[in-house]
Amino acid sequence: MPILEITDVSAGYGSGPDILRGLSLEVEEAKSYCIIGPNGAGKSTLFKVIAGLLHPRTGNVVFRGESLARRRPDQVLATGVCFVPQDQALFPEMSVRENLIMGAYLVKDRSLVKERLARVYEMFPILSERAGQDAGKLSGGQQQMLAMGRALMIDPILLMLDEPTLGLAPQIAQQIFSQVEQLKSMGLTVVIIEQNAQRGLELADWGVVLDLGIVRFEGPSEGILEDPRIRELYLGKAASTGETR
Amino acid sequence: MIEDRAAVGPEPSDPEPEQQEAQRPPGPARYRWYVLAAVVVALFALPLFRPMISSYNYVLTLGALILMWVAMSSSWNILGGFAGYISLGHSVFMGVGGYVAGVLLYYHGISPFLTAPLGGLAAVALGFLAGFITLRTRGPAFIISTIALLFMFLLMTDNFEYLGGAAGLPLPALPLSQEWLRVPFYYAMLLIALGAIWTAYRVAHSKFGMGLRAIAEDEVKAEVAGVPTRLYKISAFAISAFWVGVAGAIYGYSIAFVRPTVFFTIAISAQMVLMAIIGGKGTVAGPVVGAVLIYAINELSLVAFGATEFNIVIQGTMLVAVLLFFPLGIVGTLRKMNRLPAFLNWD
Amino acid sequence: MTNVIQVAILGLLLGGVYALMAAGLTLAFGVMRIVNLAHAAFIIASAYISFFAFEKLGIDPLLSVVFVMPIMFLFGVAVYQVLFRRIEGSKRFGEMTVLLTFGIAIMVEGLLGFAFTGIYRKAAPGYANESFIVDGLFLPQGDILFIPKGQFYASLLSIVLLVALWAFLRYSQTGYAIRATTQNRAAAEIVGVNVRRVSAISFGLSTALAGASGALMSYLFPFFPFRHWQWVAVLLALVVLGGMGSMKGAVIGALVLGVASSFVVDQIGPTWGPMTFYLALFLILLIRPQGLFGKEAPA
Repeated sequence: MPILEITDVSAGYGSGPDILRGLSLEVEEAKSYCIIGPNGAGKSTLFKVIAGLLHPRTGNVVFRGESLARRRPDQVLATGVCFVPQDQALFPEMSVRENLIMGAYLVKDRSLVKERLARVYEMFPILSERAGQDAGKLSGGQQQMLAMGRALMIDPILLMLDEPTLGLAPQIAQQIFSQVEQLKSMGLTVVIIEQNAQRGLELADWGVVLDLGIVRFEGPSEGILEDPRIRELYLGKAASTGETR
Repeated sequence: MIEDRAAVGPEPSDPEPEQQEAQRPPGPARYRWYVLAAVVVALFALPLFRPMISSYNYVLTLGALILMWVAMSSSWNILGGFAGYISLGHSVFMGVGGYVAGVLLYYHGISPFLTAPLGGLAAVALGFLAGFITLRTRGPAFIISTIALLFMFLLMTDNFEYLGGAAGLPLPALPLSQEWLRVPFYYAMLLIALGAIWTAYRVAHSKFGMGLRAIAEDEVKAEVAGVPTRLYKISAFAISAFWVGVAGAIYGYSIAFVRPTVFFTIAISAQMVLMAIIGGKGTVAGPVVGAVLIYAINELSLVAFGATEFNIVIQGTMLVAVLLFFPLGIVGTLRKMNRLPAFLNWD
Repeated sequence: MTNVIQVAILGLLLGGVYALMAAGLTLAFGVMRIVNLAHAAFIIASAYISFFAFEKLGIDPLLSVVFVMPIMFLFGVAVYQVLFRRIEGSKRFGEMTVLLTFGIAIMVEGLLGFAFTGIYRKAAPGYANESFIVDGLFLPQGDILFIPKGQFYASLLSIVLLVALWAFLRYSQTGYAIRATTQNRAAAEIVGVNVRRVSAISFGLSTALAGASGALMSYLFPFFPFRHWQWVAVLLALVVLGGMGSMKGAVIGALVLGVASSFVVDQIGPTWGPMTFYLALFLILLIRPQGLFGKEAPA
């Protein structure tokens, strides 16, 4: 029984063309997914649609029996679906601590916020050290950790990470990956978009290949890299850049 | 292969709307020019029909004012419409033109009909200078600085003895009998309006105009594409000042005085903006249509309600309504619907 | 020396009121990127409410903030819902807001002129023409300082309201949401802030501040409908100077320019007072286009 069902979704920006063109995908609980595909395939757009930031033109998104398609972002978040965008979307002039507290904006119970804050600090000790610093002054890796930490403040069921290691040095990226690994072990359903396909697929249970707004291929992640057609079609470039990173 | 249009051959007498449905209506090009030429000839001939016009002076005064607004909103459009930089202080250039010609007449007795171009050049000079400073910013900050420019000039002229202070300078009337007095002003404004439209047309159809449109679309991309954005913007500011300055010179003479509150008030700038937006900013014909329409509405509401306050409310409401429902203005909306009459398609 | 202190005091008192007026303007820009050219028109409209409350009902202008602010808050929320929500997400939103509020300003001006004519108004509560007199202390023998009561109370009220605003933004849940939306609208959406609701509230707050400013204006400065252009020019100069959207910048800019213009008035003449603001604006555009406390070029 999947927790997230995306059926026949098309979506685009403003009066522009469809970016997603009848995309369908099912996500099962406590599994992890890696979405790969060329630029413009609609990966980030898919996340925005799920998060309620962009309403689909047709089709539906159902999370645990509830339709998300017409909901505002805050209503989607309240159901336990959390999105960390590519640019992290932090509040640059708020402190690390304030950013984390903003992550629990929808949580009314103060003691619960405190509890989760402690848990995030435990998981990302660097954030605890920098608690009073403005988020805008953190390094790239620290900002990514803050974005992930902030997402955990809502105690999500499903976490979407859009290229969390983009622009980070290899050892920092490695650190981020191991933290994603940790989230997985906590029972979270994680969906990740990753340019470094090799690394992303190693991390995930299931691989999804997007192209031109639809799912072209999906399957157990190990299989994908062996499939010569996929390798040639979609991973040729991504995989090779993955090696050099 | 011969183009469809050529094959059909010229059919100047066929203004069927279907003909204009075509993507960028090549339309009956000749018919378009006939209409325009007829309008221009009629405008030139208007003062000749003196016996047939009951309130001759009123009609000529009205005509001159409409033409002045056509000139000013067309000029405003070069910066505000093409380049997308909204100036809410454009009447400052009208004032500069008015004062330059006014001072030359008051102190040296030189007719503004001769010095009006000087007034325009002074406006251009101010445009360069002001553009140099204010165009360091974009968007709201730029708009605000144009308002500040206007108020600076109001303050300065208000307090400058040589310019007559708040009372301004009275100007001697044109040595003509009352019955012919409006004629020269009418012709001057007609020439100014044609000059302004011609300028806007030339800008719109030049590489420079393309650059301005690129700036309006996305300034960073324009810069990357090699458009010298800063130079273009400042030039657009300066060019858009010229005919406004010339019009100001003639206008001051026609009302026989120059005074700070005649020129340096935001209401005058507001009119230019309103006319260009309602007509369709960024199009050549838009400001012309807008000026005629708004001026007509002004006159009618003045006759109907008398009170100028009501007039102001109508203007504000129109601006809000057009922005919300027809942001492209009359010409822009018609063109989008492919319903624009060919004789108004000057882009 | 005493004169210098006197002028500085008057400037600071004036600056306090300017700060309140500019705070509303900068709030609307910070949160929603709305450049509200109608802000001063709203102030004048509010001044009429306070003026007539005083003339007809004998309600003290300072006290009238109690109802002028809520009225203007609701008005602001309504304006936001009716006009600005339609253009949200439009490509040239900043430019649209300027033109739209320009139209609103013209409408308000016309309606006020229609209803109340163009004559000067000024409420005259008892304290408007009285002063506190300070002598002794550190002053040379025989010298005295005047502190006009009306301006003093006005500045006091401005400070109270600004501190209240600051505390609201700093500590309340909605305040967090407003600051978050100011800093990064997309991020605010992602953490579950209903940015539309926050925007409507912020615009309401901004117009409520215009309401309070109007109550003060009703007895501090003579006003008539057309006057708002002059005011909005000064206020916008202040806001650009401070860095658009920066509350700190607006307040500091208001105080500094309040004092500066006060000296200009004292040394050169009263008509040149507003010139200080315009010149400061052009100077700042030349040296630092993003304003004193702005971070990037205002787009």
